[in-house]
Amino acid sequence: MKNSDKTTEVRIRRIINKKKGMIKLSLKVCVHCSICSESCFLYQSSRHDPTYTPSYKAINSIGRLYKKKGRVSEKEYDEIRELIWEKCVLCTRCYCPVGIDIPMLIASARSICREKGIFRTYDTGESKNK
Amino acid sequence: MIKAERKPLEEIYNMVKGYSSILSVGCGGCTSVCLAGGMRETILLNKELSDCFMKEGGKAVFSVVVTERQCNEEYTGDISDLVSECDCMISMACGVGAQLLAETYESKPVFPGLNTMFVGKDLDVGLYQQNCRTCGDCKLGYTGGICPITCCSKSLLNGPCGGTCLDGSCEVSRDIPCAWNKIYERLKAQNRLDNILNIHEPMEWIDKGPGILVQQGYESRYMKEEKK
Amino acid sequence: MKSGSNLEKVLSAGHFAVTTEIGSPRGSDISAIKKKAEYVRGRTDAVNVTDCQTAMVRMSSISVATILIQMGIEPVMQMTCRDRNRIAMQSDIFGASALGIRNMLSISGDHQSFGDQKNSKKVFDIDSIQLVGMVKRLRDERKMLGDDKPIEGEIPMFIGAAANPFVPPVEFRALHLKKKIDAGADFIQTQAIYDIKGFRKWMRIVCDMGLDKRCRIMGGLIPLKTVKMAQFLQTKVPGITISDRLINRLKGVPGDKVEDEGMTILCESIEELRSIEGVSGVHIMAIGLEHRVPEITERANLYPRPVLN
Repeated sequence: MKNSDKTTEVRIRRIINKKKGMIKLSLKVCVHCSICSESCFLYQSSRHDPTYTPSYKAINSIGRLYKKKGRVSEKEYDEIRELIWEKCVLCTRCYCPVGIDIPMLIASARSICREKGIFRTYDTGESKNK
Repeated sequence: MIKAERKPLEEIYNMVKGYSSILSVGCGGCTSVCLAGGMRETILLNKELSDCFMKEGGKAVFSVVVTERQCNEEYTGDISDLVSECDCMISMACGVGAQLLAETYESKPVFPGLNTMFVGKDLDVGLYQQNCRTCGDCKLGYTGGICPITCCSKSLLNGPCGGTCLDGSCEVSRDIPCAWNKIYERLKAQNRLDNILNIHEPMEWIDKGPGILVQQGYESRYMKEEKK
Repeated sequence: MKSGSNLEKVLSAGHFAVTTEIGSPRGSDISAIKKKAEYVRGRTDAVNVTDCQTAMVRMSSISVATILIQMGIEPVMQMTCRDRNRIAMQSDIFGASALGIRNMLSISGDHQSFGDQKNSKKVFDIDSIQLVGMVKRLRDERKMLGDDKPIEGEIPMFIGAAANPFVPPVEFRALHLKKKIDAGADFIQTQAIYDIKGFRKWMRIVCDMGLDKRCRIMGGLIPLKTVKMAQFLQTKVPGITISDRLINRLKGVPGDKVEDEGMTILCESIEELRSIEGVSGVHIMAIGLEHRVPEITERANLYPRPVLN
């Protein structure tokens, strides 16, 4: 059995199971101290928009996907897509005092989204040659 | 960012035709941005390869995965479960990503699906221009911000060759402007012509082994690995 | 004397110098260059040997220059920056000196995409100005690039460089020439001149900068053989300006007389160049017309050549 043969749901479950321990522990130990926001350059340049806080981005993407085993609505997927692609470039510089691997959490959310056919495209912008 | 383009299908097919379980590994970094090796392009490659196999009477199973950045061990290391199920991989990352993938999973053959072209700027969607050759000894400070290593067809450091055409184009092509004419005009406009009137010494090419960069402030952390 | 070459002697003595050019064979057969060399023997002060011009594989300039020396003809070894790195260049310069080559011309070299090896890797480790400086250092300080230990023996080399007077902005070309002279160029051979007026203007700038006093400038000339060739030079060769008037002049004579008309134009040009301040000689690139070099030198009163000791 290859990943292409399975249903989307099976594949998503597989990703969640693989990361289960890490996700569970991370969600548990996050104390919402928001110190991670200081190390996020996008948060800094967004005039301190709280939705750019790395922990917020992680909890509201992989946190939701994990709890609902990927079965979230399309609207929610859309919100997640914005959080993990538009509001995060995975620069991996975010710092967590209790050692949560935030980039890995975001990366897991991205993997799940890809299985749903949701990912960032880079050619949807306006062409200059029009 | 790094710009790459897909290799011709036939070339990729010839590399993988002997395998029956093929994992195509896209990259969520530069090659996604330049529309060569992201999720979409990797799925497309698999579809095209699958058609090829079918036409040639072969049989293979194709899988797709995208690592966030194939040049980062943490992300390439994260797909070991999928790698264990395949018997070869196609890397849709740049040459760095392909090498790290091969290094991470030493027992599995890794084939490049892309040609890594250059470090370039985005002129438009799907249109890129080489702007830096990562020579390691940046000259932009005295050349008015125009790279002579990249923009001059002969990478000359002290001015133009005899091949500038009367219309200011390069001998190589009428579509390429002579970099040195541009450098001259820009510096003249900035009243900085003295920048190029003195002779610049031969370039100190850094051309040994895989180069290592230790960022300032991180020297102590990596000192034991750094041989100098 | 820096090199003791005949060309250096002729220029130093204040004579109006003449050089010409021979292309190397595309293979090992040297009969053609021997024949061409015989045509120009005694007619010019030195003979340039090209270094894989237009990026076509040809016999190395160092070999052909050596063959000329064996024939008793003084060569100017051309060396491009396209095919060799600084190791190979210095190594070849050592060899050239040992073989008796006393003049060399440092040039960038045509881009590899012009030639028969379009996908070769270019080198351009150093550029033509850095090459001039490198040879000067070998000659005057007996030191290699980036090394302070003295080399074994002498490198008596008369160092040449090229110049392209017609491409705008012309003042930039003059500043670029100054850089070549600062690096150590002893003589300059220019791109082919058809626009005498433009060249005169450029030489004015050059003389105002005092460059003609620091370096010998030789005007480059190519005899026009056919109308087609003139049109090719006009449209395809970078840095050459040919007026329509000149092309019409060639068109105005019967087909079998075009080559003769080209000869006449060349001789007139030599006359003109002699009258321009700061011009120390001419470099006649008689592509395929080597056999007519004797006639040119006679008609232009450049024969006999001075014999100096």
